[in-house]
Amino acid sequence: MTALPPVAVVGLGTIGCGDFSQESLASMTNRAVSAALADAGLERREVDGLFVHIGSPRGLDYDELAMLLGLKVELAVQTWSHGRFGATVIGTACMALQCRLIDVALCVGAFKSSIFARIGETGSIGFFEGMREGGGPHAETPYVGMVAPTAGAAMSTRRYLERYGIDRELLGAIAVAQREAARRNPLAMMRKPMSRADYEASPYVIEPLRVLDCSVPTDAGVALLLARSDRAAALAQPPVWVLGFQGVHAGPNEFIFGQPGLGIHQADVFDFVPRGADEPVYRRAGVAPDDVGTLHCYDGISTQVLWTLERFGFCPPGEAAAFVQEGRIGLDGELPVNTAGGHLSEGHSNGWGHMVELVRQLRGQAGERQIAGLRVGQWATTLGDSLVYANELA
Amino acid sequence: MSSPSDILPTPFPGAGELGPLLPPLTEQSKPFFDALREGRLVLQRCAGCHRVRGLVAPTCPYCGGQSFSFETMSGEGTVHSWIRYRRSYLPAFEALMPYVVLCVELDEGARIFGRLVEDEPGASPDPYAGMRVGLVLERWPDGGVTHAFTRRRESGP
Repeated sequence: MTALPPVAVVGLGTIGCGDFSQESLASMTNRAVSAALADAGLERREVDGLFVHIGSPRGLDYDELAMLLGLKVELAVQTWSHGRFGATVIGTACMALQCRLIDVALCVGAFKSSIFARIGETGSIGFFEGMREGGGPHAETPYVGMVAPTAGAAMSTRRYLERYGIDRELLGAIAVAQREAARRNPLAMMRKPMSRADYEASPYVIEPLRVLDCSVPTDAGVALLLARSDRAAALAQPPVWVLGFQGVHAGPNEFIFGQPGLGIHQADVFDFVPRGADEPVYRRAGVAPDDVGTLHCYDGISTQVLWTLERFGFCPPGEAAAFVQEGRIGLDGELPVNTAGGHLSEGHSNGWGHMVELVRQLRGQAGERQIAGLRVGQWATTLGDSLVYANELA
Repeated sequence: MSSPSDILPTPFPGAGELGPLLPPLTEQSKPFFDALREGRLVLQRCAGCHRVRGLVAPTCPYCGGQSFSFETMSGEGTVHSWIRYRRSYLPAFEALMPYVVLCVELDEGARIFGRLVEDEPGASPDPYAGMRVGLVLERWPDGGVTHAFTRRRESGP
């Protein structure tokens, strides 16, 4: 088998997190795209592939985006209307580059969530997926009174805590660690200091989850440019290589909340055995979990950090809550996690803030948050998708 | 297969219309909601592996089997997990705050979600995993019927 050509992130643009309700989606997206092109030293006309995460009504659909931003592309791909597919958008761009269908890929995660006013609110009114034939993507079942993603997360969290005999207040370490990181991120929405006592005083949204277990809704705009090695070397920024990718897993046993086997939604009940270093993303990247210097994971709800740590073999099942104590996931910890503050404190960017942070960390441009000597960074989620990035080719 | 007598629905204690909270009713999903109106909870049992599934689906999630029949559930089960709403999201359920939604493992094996019917929401002891519950049906002002659960008396160790 011929080795595939390496692909790197070569350009990065972000407008940060916040309330952009007065700005058009086209303007938000354009600012991110323009910043990414300037960062990479590429011209707009050089982009020939467009990969859009979130379309209408929260984001711009691919056709509108290309039309209003003056992009002329030969390959356009768009995923769905909310989170989850950030890594898939980037992974799909990598495949198109490696197959030489295109030369410069533009990946866009730009959308408005300012319609969801309160923390923990995402998914109540206007979140039409709750009315799907098979129930909502977070197990929403409106006719029994079960709505909002937080509900499915709470149901899995309760089962998980009971299954492994975990004290629910241990969850506080996640929100506190990520807030501490966000305090050193000028783009983060939530920068006020948070103590464990603040966390424990935080009211319940849906028991057993507190307000501070839930992400902060935000508007966001991120653009990443990717290119093959033949192009990447000559560009303005140090390339951040995409060493490995694996996609969102789906099926009756895949529920966004929980490691597999918790038995919520259609999932079966069984003992989950993580594959650890045998996860395809590690084999593809030629690394093991031990090589990962920083982990970035989808954290719409704090417990997702625990489930991701367990799913990818950083901790045995049931042990992640103990692992995240004592600052182990903080900036100076054993495994810094979500070092820009993540969805919990930077803002719910549907993973794009994490992608920005991974690139900045691996370029050595993370300022006060910089992890010394970093070589490998990973994105991973409770649905099994993952990207492994590195600042040098193995 | 058990054949419990039909359950007489009690009035839904919340407010408003059920219609807007229902998924699209199709030939496939109608048997579930029609049966509730007739006083029964029905789910699909796979003709191949004989497992009962919680979501109406054309294919068995466990064995891939394509043949099934709708079967009346006993309505008895145990609590697998539970949550309690401290923030109101749905006006129809607002009067029931702080209400509990259970994930119930029916004795037939499937797990489904349903509200816990309580006389005084928030005043009863917390539910717990393994707690026995039984089916109740509730009729909404627009005539629709949904399922919920009520505590069963402890039968002792």
